[in-house]
Amino acid sequence: MRKSYQVWLPVFLVCLLTVAASAQSFQVQCPTTTITHPTAAIAEPAYTGATTFTTGSAGYQTPSSHVNGAIKCQQISGGDGFATMGDGTQTYMFSFGPLSGLASIAAGQPGTAFPSEFNTTPSSPLVPGDPATNGNPFNGAVGLMPETYTDPNTGLPVTRMNGHVDPRQIMDVGVMNGNIPAPLMAIDEDDEFFLTLTNVGQVMRPDLFEQHTVHFHGYPNASAFYDGVPDASVAINIGGSFTYYYLAPDAGTYFWHCHITPPEHLQMGMVGQIYVRPRQNRVSGDLYTALGNQQADPRTACGRTGDGHVNAATDILCSNPLPAVNTSAVGGGKYAYNDGDGSTAYDVEYPLQIHGFDPNFHFVGMTFNPEGFTDMKDKYFLLNGRSYPDTVTEGPMMTQTTDGSNHFSQPLPSIINIPAGKKALLRISDLDVTEYQTLASLGIPMQVVGINAKLLRDQAGNNLSYKTNSITLAGGESLDVILDATGYTAGQVFYLYTPNLDHLSNDAENFGGLMTEVRITN
Amino acid sequence: MRATNMKKTNSMTRVLLAPMMAVALLLLTATAFAAAPGITGPAFNLTAQPAFTTQPDGSLVYSWGYGCASAPSGFAPAGITGTCSNMQVPGPTLIVTQGNTVSVTLTNGLPVAAGNTSILFPGFNVTATGGVAGLLTQEAAPGNPVTYTFTATTPGTRSYYSGTQGDLQVEMGLYGAIIVLPAGVPAACTTGVHANNLTAKAANQVHAGTEGDFRLAAAAYNHAQACYDREYLFQFSEMDPRIHRQAEEQSTRTCTGCMNVATEPYVPAYFMINGRSMPDDMDGNYAPQYPHQPYNGNPHMHPGELVLLRIIGQGRWQHPFHEHGNHVRVLARDGNLILSATDANSLAGPLLFTTTTTPGQAIDGIFYWTGKGLNWDPYGHGASVTSATCTPDANGYNTGAPTAINYFEWCQDHNKPLQAFPFGDVAGGGPATLPNPNILANGAWYGGSPYLGPEATVRAVGSTGTTPPSGTVANSPTDEAGFAFMWHSHNEREITTNNIFPGGMMMMMLVDPWVYPINEAN
Repeated sequence: MRKSYQVWLPVFLVCLLTVAASAQSFQVQCPTTTITHPTAAIAEPAYTGATTFTTGSAGYQTPSSHVNGAIKCQQISGGDGFATMGDGTQTYMFSFGPLSGLASIAAGQPGTAFPSEFNTTPSSPLVPGDPATNGNPFNGAVGLMPETYTDPNTGLPVTRMNGHVDPRQIMDVGVMNGNIPAPLMAIDEDDEFFLTLTNVGQVMRPDLFEQHTVHFHGYPNASAFYDGVPDASVAINIGGSFTYYYLAPDAGTYFWHCHITPPEHLQMGMVGQIYVRPRQNRVSGDLYTALGNQQADPRTACGRTGDGHVNAATDILCSNPLPAVNTSAVGGGKYAYNDGDGSTAYDVEYPLQIHGFDPNFHFVGMTFNPEGFTDMKDKYFLLNGRSYPDTVTEGPMMTQTTDGSNHFSQPLPSIINIPAGKKALLRISDLDVTEYQTLASLGIPMQVVGINAKLLRDQAGNNLSYKTNSITLAGGESLDVILDATGYTAGQVFYLYTPNLDHLSNDAENFGGLMTEVRITN
Repeated sequence: MRATNMKKTNSMTRVLLAPMMAVALLLLTATAFAAAPGITGPAFNLTAQPAFTTQPDGSLVYSWGYGCASAPSGFAPAGITGTCSNMQVPGPTLIVTQGNTVSVTLTNGLPVAAGNTSILFPGFNVTATGGVAGLLTQEAAPGNPVTYTFTATTPGTRSYYSGTQGDLQVEMGLYGAIIVLPAGVPAACTTGVHANNLTAKAANQVHAGTEGDFRLAAAAYNHAQACYDREYLFQFSEMDPRIHRQAEEQSTRTCTGCMNVATEPYVPAYFMINGRSMPDDMDGNYAPQYPHQPYNGNPHMHPGELVLLRIIGQGRWQHPFHEHGNHVRVLARDGNLILSATDANSLAGPLLFTTTTTPGQAIDGIFYWTGKGLNWDPYGHGASVTSATCTPDANGYNTGAPTAINYFEWCQDHNKPLQAFPFGDVAGGGPATLPNPNILANGAWYGGSPYLGPEATVRAVGSTGTTPPSGTVANSPTDEAGFAFMWHSHNEREITTNNIFPGGMMMMMLVDPWVYPINEAN
């Protein structure tokens, strides 16, 4: 019999704080202004130079000009759900689900929103399974509602959106709405990101009182408090919300996952993707000059060795030195990194997350039985939560959960559509729990431009990107690949597949698994 | 007595941590950390012997390992009191200096039934004398010696391991590391900021403990970017206890070299760092309860210190070793510096947040943590009487006064609040609001507040932090209050010990404030 206190050494706190925190449990946070972004914004400002600061009366620096980035918010549920495997099996999972950006997520887009969109209420109440149930195109925070209270200064009633949440909406939408991969997130460099994790409990496992956390994997100079490792900080209990706060790290392809009992929670599906767009995307002029402008802010500076800036020789982890060759490239496009020479330019982008499910482990995870970690063996191989041929099925996949409601369990197909002559950026991450997996490209070479969310460039500014036909990743690794469709014609179809040929299967089904299609379009 | 206990824990996957943690925590309060200890030569007199190694599940596993046949020339570093028994896993770390003529005499003390044994030293031009001819090198017949001689031509970290029946002998534990220190180090590594770091350590200790210099050298290579302030050696390996049990059963046979152990199928149940699984790896170096597993994995560092990671893959599987907290700049592979093709002063090794280990391969990398870019003051400074000043150097850090309590603080965020409301003595006005503390669960390595250091933590939440009284936790709010990060294999199945989580390839890395003495002595 499983013991109820058997969680990762919880030490429940006796409240000694003098903080004036709200007494409620569910709460979302999405301020419209902060110290770093003092003006409410609904779009990313163009990047014209590094932010300049003045020290205010409170003793800390505030921006005086060139405010870059904006505030972005998202809410997710931590709980459970069901997904459909390549052989049609409905499989139980622990998972994160969307509690904001529902319409965007169902459309295969990131669910990250500006406060102006996040802090809204739906036109009609959401019901279990939404948006799969009634297609309600709502992108705000689920459950957020105005709160009326008495202003202590004036004595008058005030109605305001201040993070107050209606728990019924949260539970209606959040219970068993798990997604695999977890809700997609995307932010820009210089953004402040408020991610609220709301623990709605795991309906299929009433014996577990699981906390959940969010670990943003790979963030440089992460804080322990927001790193999401329960042993090192705090984890959120059932019935509570915790808001992670981060200034966006350097541009790149990261990923995120729960860090509670990782061998269990990651295998069971609590894995997701996040990427950070470079400020170079907001540059319209000369890229080399713009990258040079970043040297003025020590936070973003990375010169070449000996060029007089904060540079590689003095910051050994500095990752974006000015390129050795000035290509006079001009901005206005989309780039994977602040390359300063246009070498990471692309036209369309696709996040791809590699994962694997062990069906025995998932069955045991639903039925209270002891879990074997040494015998863990994946039999389903997932790209964005699906196995071939589901990877090339358009639109979100729907799975019915045990309460009879339909949920969009797997919103992301993995179809790589590239217009002829254009380039696609594949943001590939892997959160497999047991083994390395290889993804190969038949027909179009892969150009690897970044590894582990860092541009491939040496400290002297030379580009170190390389061409290959396959990439190999283990859980905890990511990289960026550009597929160039120059010289290809519309209608051609190529394959991304795994040469781990036993992974081209859906459990006992002979053909399926880690495979998808690259389609050249008009 | 059964030496290998294969009984799986049927009743629980997450064992109640308290008994295991109690032992680890008691020893943690005795301040015993890591470094890269070993024996010095350059003549070494080794033997290969059988003995039992221990695992946190109480198992004793029959193993083979290298050890000292006679007292070594010496031990390094000076601050750590070393011993060298005749068997240890990993084998003794051999520490020599570039240019030394190294000779290693190996006497075969394995059971007669095991047959010959040997050592390979990849990366060196080895001449073997004595012994009997083997496939890969000269071997030592049972009870007899062989001598290997080579010149340590280049600095760096490399592996050594048995060249005889590797599938069995390496699995059984016959592997180790050899560290070649550079003949000369650049002046930059002993002056400037690195000299200031030594001053900062000596000046800031508020406890009786002293913090000496536990490095083997001031640089890993004679290269200006190979300077470091602290170093750790981590060797990754795994064990399938069924193989060890077969070897134990056959070890009593009287025929020479007739052991026939099946090493496939391979189902490891134990995953180790430096021969120990979590939490044993966080006990001290040369801890008496592990007589045959002297080395540990318990990294600590101060903000701003450059930490050299010597990472070796032993065993037969790759492991995605993930360092929370920042990226690692890879300096070298198998002792070969990775430099730019156009500028030998510039590094070209990748920046990785997951440093995959490969059997037989060694990586040298540099890591640091400073909190740069957090966008809030991790020391909880504010407009209060204890506010310190922060004067940025060219890179933005407070390095002018090594004796300052906030030495190496990232000045751009000085005084910037995190919390929206005042938190103890720490000012409000920040972007985030902590939820009701009753809905959070705290981890064993939680310092008690989001802030770094006892001064900041006590001001924010009082002397007990948000955790029970100090002395019962691994990161005391009044003593250490460091930022904890988990360093672990990201094949999450491998952070288990024989189906028990937590365990396996995991350790907690602590970023400790400069006031806290990191005492690597045992």
